[in-house]
Amino acid sequence: MKKHLIYLSLVIAIFSACEKEDDPVFDQSPDERLNETLTMYQGELTGAPYGWKAMVFPAGMPNSVFSFYMKFNGSNRVSMFSDFDAESSTTLQESSYRLKALQQPSLLFDTYSYLHVLCDPDAGVNGGAYGKGLYSDFEFALDSISGDTIHLTGRFNKSKAYLVKATQEEAQEYMSLERNREFEHITQFLTYFKRLTVGGTQYELTVNPYAHVIGFTWVDDKGEKQQDVVGFYYTPNGIAFAPAFTDGKNTITGLQDITWDAEGQIMSFTVDDASAMISGFAKPLVVDTAAPKRWWNKGQSMEYWVSTTGFHANGVDDAFNITSLPSYYFLTFWPTYAGTSYDILIFVTVVDNTLVPSYGPAFRAPRFTADGRIIFPYSDDRGTYPPGPAPVHNTRNQLADAAGYYLVQVNQDQYDMVSAKDGKAWITWVR
Amino acid sequence: MKRFLQILFYCCSLFLLASCSEDDDLGSIEDIPGLGGDTWVEGPLDKWLYDTLTKPYNIAVKYKWDQFEFELNKTLVPPKEDKVIPVMSAIKKVWIDNYIDEAGLTFFKKYSPKFFILSGSASWNENGTITLGTAEGGRKVVLYLLNDFRTKDMPGYEPADSANVKQMFHVIEHEFGHILHQTVMYPQEFKEISTGYYTGNWNNISDLEARQDGFVTAYAMSAYDEDFVEMISMMLVEGKEGFDRIVNSIPPGSSINGMSRADAQARLRQKEAMVVEYFKSVWDIDFYSLQTKTRNTIEQLLY
Repeated sequence: MKKHLIYLSLVIAIFSACEKEDDPVFDQSPDERLNETLTMYQGELTGAPYGWKAMVFPAGMPNSVFSFYMKFNGSNRVSMFSDFDAESSTTLQESSYRLKALQQPSLLFDTYSYLHVLCDPDAGVNGGAYGKGLYSDFEFALDSISGDTIHLTGRFNKSKAYLVKATQEEAQEYMSLERNREFEHITQFLTYFKRLTVGGTQYELTVNPYAHVIGFTWVDDKGEKQQDVVGFYYTPNGIAFAPAFTDGKNTITGLQDITWDAEGQIMSFTVDDASAMISGFAKPLVVDTAAPKRWWNKGQSMEYWVSTTGFHANGVDDAFNITSLPSYYFLTFWPTYAGTSYDILIFVTVVDNTLVPSYGPAFRAPRFTADGRIIFPYSDDRGTYPPGPAPVHNTRNQLADAAGYYLVQVNQDQYDMVSAKDGKAWITWVR
Repeated sequence: MKRFLQILFYCCSLFLLASCSEDDDLGSIEDIPGLGGDTWVEGPLDKWLYDTLTKPYNIAVKYKWDQFEFELNKTLVPPKEDKVIPVMSAIKKVWIDNYIDEAGLTFFKKYSPKFFILSGSASWNENGTITLGTAEGGRKVVLYLLNDFRTKDMPGYEPADSANVKQMFHVIEHEFGHILHQTVMYPQEFKEISTGYYTGNWNNISDLEARQDGFVTAYAMSAYDEDFVEMISMMLVEGKEGFDRIVNSIPPGSSINGMSRADAQARLRQKEAMVVEYFKSVWDIDFYSLQTKTRNTIEQLLY
């Protein structure tokens, strides 16, 4: 028993001797630290004397970027410009914001503003997806602050964004409504192919003006084709790239002092104070010589390609007005239609709520040229053409053009077919 | 065995000692961020809502964004600030003022939903449809698509906008109807009028097809209760004339389910009579008078 008591007192001695004091890692409570952080961000936001420039990269749009100017005040109000369109870039709009402790300290834009235009689930507002918009955000977690920059991550779609303190000069430019949106005329080039010439190097551009994205294609020193995609946003005197474009030789941060010459079909500007330009071309910089065959085979394997509005020619969408044809639904191209040796360009109509392949011209097997063109030899007309068949005839004559077409693969399900004659007529095929 | 008891003894004493209490300092608990709800510097809009709806009727309106009031997986945007007053004052004119006029202030205060949540966009569903309003538990009403709200005295008004505005009133009258019948149930006979025609497949049925089966809208086919409140809502928003037009629009011949035109019309009229009788006997409200007033207010806003 005595032995037991000794053991017992030993046990008691060991366990009661331990230090019960917790040494907290932080010297303040979580609430105190949270309040401190929110107050710090609040002070930063309202304390910037010339407001903030904001960049938002919508999560659903690879490479896309939109720019904003924001000025926060101490009464939960924020004034904004956005480069979304001409109106939002010159109309200052006030809405509401607040800082809130969610899972992380967060910055919420809690009534509708230009920022919400990108998030609106009504695709009619922003050209995005119905029910989703551009997958952008208006509630942001405050990730970090470093120097003049606050880094943000969207809470819903995880879009990245950052705020940079504006300089006095930048604030003045915004407030004096100085803007240069001449770059929007990029859609008014008559030719499909456009090249940017900087310091003797040519870059072929593909521009998505709605998503604020530019694709560059160029030939490197070894003669190989290279491609890159960057986002762009409007600045007071032109556009800037985010991130800057670089091919190792040239680094281009943006285009300044842009002017557009519609007659001459030339967009002029400066790049780092040196003059440069974008001009139209009839031919691609690098011809994808295998594309015609790839397009034709793919069309055959899935029966047909679809185009909703037919040819774009000389700056006009649906140049032959095929959408005015009676009961017109869409245009299709069927390689080896129904197992025959003919390719048929079929106009599909709706009859009694049913899609009917109604009529269209037939072509003999296409010719694939060594330099990467496809030529469609016209054979005969099939089905009964509707009264007023000019749209069908014009489309047929265009497709049968002797110079043929280049094919540009836009993505897995879309090819653009561009007239090799002058590059001013093209049609988009999708599935 | 003795050995085992010894071990048990040591273990017990060990637990006793190790489980002794520790004093944890909770730190400062006076200032927990966000405790007591969101706060912001109040502006004229907040004051208008307080004076117009909160003070007289105890109705709160949340127009600032709070994702947790909505379905968490939906892409939605907050309302434009300049839409809030037009929407809420239209609701006051069409719904609040007319009910108070017919049934009295006490009735309205007692039964009205107390919490309005506003969304700027519609709520898009997986099947391509959009939701324009929802309600929970007779207390909370969520209104969508405020940013497209336009009445005739607002710039850019087009006749097509009236559908959107009427839909908003439709939602409120519908939800308020639910509160009424959940408080005092309508007579059992109402459920028997269309027994056998209710279906979960209502969303694939057009309003016209539903009317051929004796329902005022397709949604009314989903359940007895919905049928009852859709009747209330449609009759109030469309007015007597509008409702008559709906009844008369049923084409001759029979529906897919074999119901004749006369039969469908008779059923709609029977439902109408029961709604009117329910309002009279349960709430002492002259339904036709309420209907006339409600429709007049809507017409003033839209036409």
